[in-house]
Amino acid sequence: MPIKNRLAEMHAEITAWRRDIHAHPEILYDTHRTSALVAERLKEFGCDEVVTGIGRTGVVGVIKGKTDSKGAVIGLRADMDALPMQEQTGLEYASKTADAMHACGHDGHTAMVLGAAKYLTETRNFDGTAVVIFQPAEEGGNGAEAMVNDGMMDRFGIQEVYAMHNVPGLPTGQFAIRPGPMLAAADTFDIVLEGRGGHAAKPQETIDTTVMASQLIVALQNIVSRNTDPVLQAVVSVTSVETSSNAFNVIPQGARIKGTVRTHSNDMRALIEQRVHELTQGIAATFGGTAEVTYEHGVPVTSNAEEQTEYASEVARLVGGSCVEAPMIMGGEDFSFMLEARPGAFITLGNGDSAGLHHPEYNFNDDIIPIGCSWFAEMVERRMPAA
Amino acid sequence: MPVKNRFAELQNEITEWRRDFHENPEILFETHRTSALVAEKLQEFGCDEIVTGIGRTGVVGVIKGKSDTAGKVIGLRADMDALPILEATGLDYASKTDGAMHACGHDGHTAMLLGAAKYLSETRNFDGTVVVIFQPAEEGGGGGKEMCDDGMMERWNIQEVYGMHNWPGRPVGSFAIRPGAFFAATDTFDITLEGRGGHAAKPHDTVDTTVMAAQTVLALQTIASRNADPVDQIVVSVTSFETSSKAFNVIPQTVQIKGTVRTMSTGMRDLAETRIKEICNGIAATFGGTADINYMRGYPVMVNTDEQTEFAAKVAADVSGACDDAPLVMGGEDFAFMLEERPGAYILVGNGDTAMVHHPEYNFNDDAIPAGCSWWAEIVEQRMPAA
Repeated sequence: MPIKNRLAEMHAEITAWRRDIHAHPEILYDTHRTSALVAERLKEFGCDEVVTGIGRTGVVGVIKGKTDSKGAVIGLRADMDALPMQEQTGLEYASKTADAMHACGHDGHTAMVLGAAKYLTETRNFDGTAVVIFQPAEEGGNGAEAMVNDGMMDRFGIQEVYAMHNVPGLPTGQFAIRPGPMLAAADTFDIVLEGRGGHAAKPQETIDTTVMASQLIVALQNIVSRNTDPVLQAVVSVTSVETSSNAFNVIPQGARIKGTVRTHSNDMRALIEQRVHELTQGIAATFGGTAEVTYEHGVPVTSNAEEQTEYASEVARLVGGSCVEAPMIMGGEDFSFMLEARPGAFITLGNGDSAGLHHPEYNFNDDIIPIGCSWFAEMVERRMPAA
Repeated sequence: MPVKNRFAELQNEITEWRRDFHENPEILFETHRTSALVAEKLQEFGCDEIVTGIGRTGVVGVIKGKSDTAGKVIGLRADMDALPILEATGLDYASKTDGAMHACGHDGHTAMLLGAAKYLSETRNFDGTVVVIFQPAEEGGGGGKEMCDDGMMERWNIQEVYGMHNWPGRPVGSFAIRPGAFFAATDTFDITLEGRGGHAAKPHDTVDTTVMAAQTVLALQTIASRNADPVDQIVVSVTSFETSSKAFNVIPQTVQIKGTVRTMSTGMRDLAETRIKEICNGIAATFGGTADINYMRGYPVMVNTDEQTEFAAKVAADVSGACDDAPLVMGGEDFAFMLEERPGAYILVGNGDTAMVHHPEYNFNDDAIPAGCSWWAEIVEQRMPAA
């Protein structure tokens, strides 16, 4: 059983939806047109319930199976938002909005879950309930968290959640997954060091912030080399440094250091947060300055549950012929908030030899639509087999 | 012999000139109004020759003594330019130009030398020639150098040059001087370190410029602590540190580091330049990056010659009763260029308990005018006594 025939028939229609969404990208929570379009389609398909405004602009559709003997409920999630960048694909259906682009394939993700929803509403060949989830603000806006915080899981009785992401470089239609931590927790730090500014020719009257900041940047490297277990993964990157003045003859009063931390476990995340605070306060105190550390938790670790991962990869093998082990990725994924709330799995699907994600020449590969749709549909039919 | 009686009489008039300059500050070489006013006054006093346009907007006035038996020529120099600072004194005669201010007392220097020129043109009680020199762009523009480059010293056969600067914190009208190196050579460096930018979650694909730059800033500290003879003076200050990108998730491709070097001898200056280049290239190479180093020599060390310093101190003691030993100053002074061409001396005159120079609340102390003017006039009358 490769892809479903019905979804192969719908390929052109789903592709048309995808390209329409591609031409009209919307950023973060501003997915007004996309959300309306999704809700309209779901109603048109005959979903049993369509709710908008979950997590601001998120949309939820409920599809009941032929039977519901056990009360099983599965959530299938797609993301709808685009990125704030200028498209350079030259496509006929390229973005009509300057500085907004579907450069991460969320247009494809949304179209594929819509395709699966259409198929599932037509067939309803399962025992339980499928909840299709369309979230805004995956790209740095924590839209998934907003939907979870709006009580989505409890309201619809969702027991397991699944999601899919395309991956450039992986052969077209090739599935890949791994159990346990798959994508990283992505935190940021924003540190303001304050010394005592003054004339650059009178260093003795100052507390030199450039030296203090440099000591800190070098010391932060010790977290990964000295504090973390070498078997585990962690990244601490200082990505921005800015002195409060840029003259040649003034020792700046302050320096601002920004960066990111990527980890694959909560323990590691906590250790690094603590060490960033300790190193910063320690070095500031050592030089007689002060430090203000803002450590922001971004998306948590995307951790696939064992049972659901095994099941997701079995379905992937049925649909695509094989499913390989995905590498750990130090990037972050908003779906992690849903996986914190419910067991589930996040699978990747090869987008073929395209430009990388977030690249201005990236485009979602429409050839993978039938495969992706089939996986979503098959997940529902296999996990909740018709009585 | 304290201050000359004639200057006590002239004090109100000179104060008016000073306050007029204060109200109309002009920056760097843009001293058009000030230069015109200076030339007009010199004309009015009856100077024997007035030449404008030396060093762009510099003005030179020639005053011949009663006699000229030995062909002696002494140069007396004042600076005319203001600073790009927003004045915060609240004075009646505060700057009328936003973002321009006489915050270093050049208004007072110009007025005092004009006062001396008026007296010397009236009395001419000396044997030789006085050249009064009004320079633009002392504050980082090298106006003194431009006047020398225009052939000023040769054109008027100047044999010795003298300069004066007001000094907040010293009792009003008291003098201080030191022989030999007095003000520092002020150089700047502008270094661009280049690594390989990339995603902050993929440090292994990058050459991290923030770490490279931080190591560089720290290594530069060893020039003063390890390379320089501890008996000599040197300052190496990194004053600006800026990554080429400011995002939380991007390792920047380049980092720009700026700073200043202050030294009191050519040997230390050469050492600093050599070590900065070696350290930057060495650290860049160590991390697999490159360094583009721009070392810019600014003002040279300002050196007072022994004989002229001794004479200047004696005159100061005659005028004010005493002359103190001045400390080494790590700031720079454009007059250094004139002292490179001719023997001479630079003296400090107390400005009393005022805000520091370059402070937005600084003001020149008009009470220093009689002492300052008297010193100028006495330098001439004692160095070239009337036959």
